[in-house]
Amino acid sequence: MPDATIPLVGQPPFEQYTLTGAYDEMFAPDGSVRPAYAELARRLSALSPEELQQRQRYADLTFLNQGITFTVYGNESGTERVFPYDLLPRIITADEWQQIERGLNQRIIALNHFLRDIYHDEQILRDGIIPRELIYSCRHYRREMRGLPVPRNVYTAIVGTDLVRLPDGQFVVLEDNLRVPSGVSYMLTNRAVMKRAFPRLFGAHGVRPIDHYGQALLATLRALAPDHRPEPTIALLTPGVFNSAYFEHTFLARQMGIELVEGRDLLAHDNVIYMRTTGGLRRVDVIYRRIDDDFLDPMVFRPDSVLGVPGLLNAYRAGNVVLANAIGTGVADDKAVYAYVPAIIRYYLGEEPILPNVPTYLCDRADERAYVLEHLDELVVKAVGESGGYDMLIGPHSTREQQAQFAERIRANPRNYIAQPTLQLSCAPCFIDGIIEPRHVDLRPFILFDGETTTIVPGGLTRVALRRGSLVVNSSQGGGSKDTWVLY
Amino acid sequence: MYYSILHKTRFRYSAPVTESQTEVRMCPRNEGTQRLIEFRLTTAPFARINHYHDWLGNEVYHFDVAAAHRQLLIIAESIVQLTPPPPLPDRLDGAAWAMLDEIAAHGDFWDFLMPSHFIQTTPALLDLAREIGAERRSDPLTLLREINHSIAQTFAYAPQTTRVDSPIDEALLARKGVCQDFAHIMIALVRRIGIPCRYVSGYLFHRTEDHDRSEEDATHAWVEAYLPEVGWVGFDPTNDLIAGERHIRVAVGRDYADVPPTRGIYRGQATSQLEVGVKVVPTVVHIDETEVLPQITTASVQAELQQQ
Repeated sequence: MPDATIPLVGQPPFEQYTLTGAYDEMFAPDGSVRPAYAELARRLSALSPEELQQRQRYADLTFLNQGITFTVYGNESGTERVFPYDLLPRIITADEWQQIERGLNQRIIALNHFLRDIYHDEQILRDGIIPRELIYSCRHYRREMRGLPVPRNVYTAIVGTDLVRLPDGQFVVLEDNLRVPSGVSYMLTNRAVMKRAFPRLFGAHGVRPIDHYGQALLATLRALAPDHRPEPTIALLTPGVFNSAYFEHTFLARQMGIELVEGRDLLAHDNVIYMRTTGGLRRVDVIYRRIDDDFLDPMVFRPDSVLGVPGLLNAYRAGNVVLANAIGTGVADDKAVYAYVPAIIRYYLGEEPILPNVPTYLCDRADERAYVLEHLDELVVKAVGESGGYDMLIGPHSTREQQAQFAERIRANPRNYIAQPTLQLSCAPCFIDGIIEPRHVDLRPFILFDGETTTIVPGGLTRVALRRGSLVVNSSQGGGSKDTWVLY
Repeated sequence: MYYSILHKTRFRYSAPVTESQTEVRMCPRNEGTQRLIEFRLTTAPFARINHYHDWLGNEVYHFDVAAAHRQLLIIAESIVQLTPPPPLPDRLDGAAWAMLDEIAAHGDFWDFLMPSHFIQTTPALLDLAREIGAERRSDPLTLLREINHSIAQTFAYAPQTTRVDSPIDEALLARKGVCQDFAHIMIALVRRIGIPCRYVSGYLFHRTEDHDRSEEDATHAWVEAYLPEVGWVGFDPTNDLIAGERHIRVAVGRDYADVPPTRGIYRGQATSQLEVGVKVVPTVVHIDETEVLPQITTASVQAELQQQ
């Protein structure tokens, strides 16, 4: 409990603020403000609750008016929602960021080596670093990619790694998200709204800019274009208006000035991909696809998919079109393969991982499975191929019945589940119902890789678990977000 | 033996369709005891044809027809040479099972040991395994011969009782089916006991004296099992044969889903009707190498090599 003699925690406007066992982004354990947050604390003390409310309303309205929404699946009544925005920024110091940047850079390079290897020489499997069955049994391992050359050996060019901060202040990697990561549009709009809601506060800090993300993404896509297409046509392939991230697809296409297309707008002819335009067919060289592998080409993957382009994989194989990200990157996203990423970094780069992993129990291994089944009330259990917080058990917040259900699922298909200790995600101050309270947060920085250079815009999406005590930050499960400042 | 094969496929659509995409796996493999001499694919309407090797080493031809069409004709013509496979031993020695376990543990044959789209261990399959004693015993080669024979004995050959997408349970329960069903059933039985096994699609040359059960002038399917020291051996459970000089191999896969002769998609509200015709004939014009100068033969060069 906070001590009244210690500055600020317990004082207005932080009278409702409590420090728990989690790392607090703003306050040191003794209740004093961390230096990076000093100016924010000073400004918040000077503002009346009414003024804060007013700015929150302004921000909420901006999101609503701009139609910045996402879709929740499996919900009968009203699926489109505004992504809740929290008014208070999350601040990361230059030193902290440098560590994150180095760690992410190392990780994306190692993972691209890994993906190339498992689709070509399989050296890491031959050397017994990773069991072959683990790769071959992965639902996202695409046999069609075996031996297929990928431009510049870039398998995953666009990544959104999920980081969380543990009680000791260390950032660790929770998930890599190497397929079609989303959220970058929220990062950019959060910043735009922040600048208008708190112009002076923002101006008082040296906050590193993130506005160039769209241009950096475009440059990455251009760099991946086939060599014989010096002025490439680039398109963003969206599943359409019913996709949860459709807002983001329109946003990014507009930012980059590229075409937004659906599968039915594209056509494969003689191994070349064309886009139907009012002026006739136009050749497409690079596709930033926001469609999962399964739906990309009904000739190869799910035959019932109407979202993709029949013949796309053949054009891709022939080198006439580039896909970003490549097909089959999901194998490195498999939560059981994730457990091997530190070994992958050591194997390909001969370096120690800069950003650690979360300890992970593989239910496929008998001894680890036994441990997991014994400790379901303490652990977080996840399905290996899922994302977005679906098919997941949070032990401490679960009922006996839910635990029994998961035990059954684990026994029926052990390869499909992993477990991790329940992490104390760090907390950051949030403005909720007129009061400043701590909420758990994570951090998703966005990484771009063109085969030579890694670009990480300083910042990312800080997601907030809006329910008090909740550890689930996914937007589909009631999460919000806040602006993320990386200081010079 | 030289063979000429003509494989004719016609799709008819109930209404005009556009932008059809088709992949064709009809090009015989060029490996082992089979040599591909010529392959030609033509289509009507005319299309530019591209090809690639899939991950199983099959040669895949593909094309698209953008303009509206009411039918699609695909003609695949091949000429192949088959030499008899080396004779099989009567049996393998007792260490063969241990060697198979070694192979399985190493992981290279994972895809041919695990369940796949059509290959599932269902209760009906377990019943059959019990009934015909498809469990590890004697040596793997002898057991495979027995399983091959048992399937031929247990199941009636009955065209049109199953469809290309039928799960094995349909044939297992009805105790009848076609070559594709028997191949799938044998693969499921064989993988279960830890022998790598794969699906082969191709053609069987029918001689009148053989009384094969499978239909003449049609595509055929059988299996290959991997045995230590012998390699891949073909078993044809439809006709109770070991695959030999009459089995023309076109494509291999985990099961039928990997190697359909055609796979396609089109744009338009139409149903399609498929007709397939196949003819396999021994190529009559064969020039023996001894008829041509210089006066030396492959056999004599080989003999010289062995003396060295």
